[in-house]
Amino acid sequence: MSEVVVTAGDSPIREVNIEIRARLAEGNSVVVRDTRSRHNLGVGLPAGAKVRFEGSVGYYCGGLNDGAFIEVERNAGWSTGEAMATGEIIVNGYAGMSTGASMRGGLIHVKGDAGPRCGVAMKGGDIIVEGKIGYMSGFMAHAGRIIALSGADEACADSLWGGEVWVAGPVESLGVDSKIIEPEPEEVASVEELLAGRGLGDNSREWQKIVSAQKLWHFESRDASAWLMI
Amino acid sequence: MCGIAGRILSAPGRIGDDLVDLMEAQRHRGADSTGFALYGEPLETGYIVRAMAPERDKLSADLDDFLAILRENGSDFLADPTYDNADTAHVSVRMTIKDPKDFVTWSRQADTMCEQLEIQSVGRSLEIVKDLGGASEVAEKHNIRDFIGTHGLGHARLATESSVSPTASHPFWARLFPDVAIVHNGQITDYYTWRDRLERKGYRFMTYNDSELIAVWIADQMAQGSSQAKAMKDSIGQIDGVFTYLLCDTDSMGFAKDRWAIKPLVVIEENGQMAVATEEQAVRMVYPGNEDIINYDGPSMTGTWQISSVRKAA
Repeated sequence: MSEVVVTAGDSPIREVNIEIRARLAEGNSVVVRDTRSRHNLGVGLPAGAKVRFEGSVGYYCGGLNDGAFIEVERNAGWSTGEAMATGEIIVNGYAGMSTGASMRGGLIHVKGDAGPRCGVAMKGGDIIVEGKIGYMSGFMAHAGRIIALSGADEACADSLWGGEVWVAGPVESLGVDSKIIEPEPEEVASVEELLAGRGLGDNSREWQKIVSAQKLWHFESRDASAWLMI
Repeated sequence: MCGIAGRILSAPGRIGDDLVDLMEAQRHRGADSTGFALYGEPLETGYIVRAMAPERDKLSADLDDFLAILRENGSDFLADPTYDNADTAHVSVRMTIKDPKDFVTWSRQADTMCEQLEIQSVGRSLEIVKDLGGASEVAEKHNIRDFIGTHGLGHARLATESSVSPTASHPFWARLFPDVAIVHNGQITDYYTWRDRLERKGYRFMTYNDSELIAVWIADQMAQGSSQAKAMKDSIGQIDGVFTYLLCDTDSMGFAKDRWAIKPLVVIEENGQMAVATEEQAVRMVYPGNEDIINYDGPSMTGTWQISSVRKAA
């Protein structure tokens, strides 16, 4: 597989994405240069594709990913990998708000911190954040795992319906209707195995596994005051 | 959805040019109107007044009325007013005036003729210029790129709550406080409650844009002796909605973000200069290199940068 360069610059994003797909279809891997933190780069990439973005990208990079391997050299804006089905996205810097929003499968690996509502409404897959996850991460997630290696900001796992938020390091506060439970040894082994496979093995971590307290599953409007945060 | 931006230079320079670039890169966030709050070299005495008249044909008569009110208040034009010569019905006017005997008395009286000539900013340094269209069109019409100054704000508007008109766009002047301006990205949900309260206290609203509320609210806090930094902090608990706004005067620029961490803010600071915007791609227009960015993404945040040396105090 040879590597070819696509330049984003100020070209219309539709044209940039068409060119990325054309180069991929010829059997190449693609490096995108001069990304200028622009939005919607590399959306809907197919299985087997390999795309690397130099610099930073804007919103929705790698959204609807269907099996591609995508790497962002620096930072990503909002909703990286939104609604992705499968595949892998690596962000080497900071990932903005709503990383992995509504994702259904695959893996997002953020090497810096992640912004607020990381994994919002996710339905499957894994998000690994080597830094800290932002305010209200895991908000209304249904399934999947968010794994944070350096703590979580306030209101962690707020209104979690299902899925798991794993935090090593301090959790500033829990959001509504979530609770910390003792993980089973085989669950810890599964998380550590995933991390070890990415060069992040460390068996000394003290995990806080956060799951839904399941009270909001049976919401009654007369109880609304119990859920109001302000 | 709107886009906001701010820029601070370490010495007077092409602030207008940078702000147009910052806003052009956020054109997709709203291009029904664009506006700028520009801070040039401050006058030692006298004020720069920026105003807009809806009817170009009547400008000369409206300026006569405006001048009559100035003279009643011991002021006068320091030079002939200048205005754009576009073919639009509305016209933007720039005036320099002598200090009125009492600023507030004059300002309140001048606002009684706001339907003829609406004051958009008054300051030793501040000039608010806003109009319909995207950054490039507004910049070309009002010669923004050539403006020399130390700092300023920009705003790209996508109207969601009120009408589109040249006067209803941002930035907004914190009425009665010279040189204080805001730009806002978000929605204020208790707008009518606050507007009602503030109108009872005698404040005049020029538009139905919810962002104007922030400017008037801040002015009211300042009238009660609050510092701008304190007012910004207090606004987070008192104003309901989702917002990130920038507040600026001659000495400082600050930001405040709501409790829900909805609206982003991206900053690059380097060598006593600073660029801030809603999106990273905007700040990359003035910092195209590898400078590190700071994302102010969390809830309930405020901060202030000093204009002289760009220091942030959280």
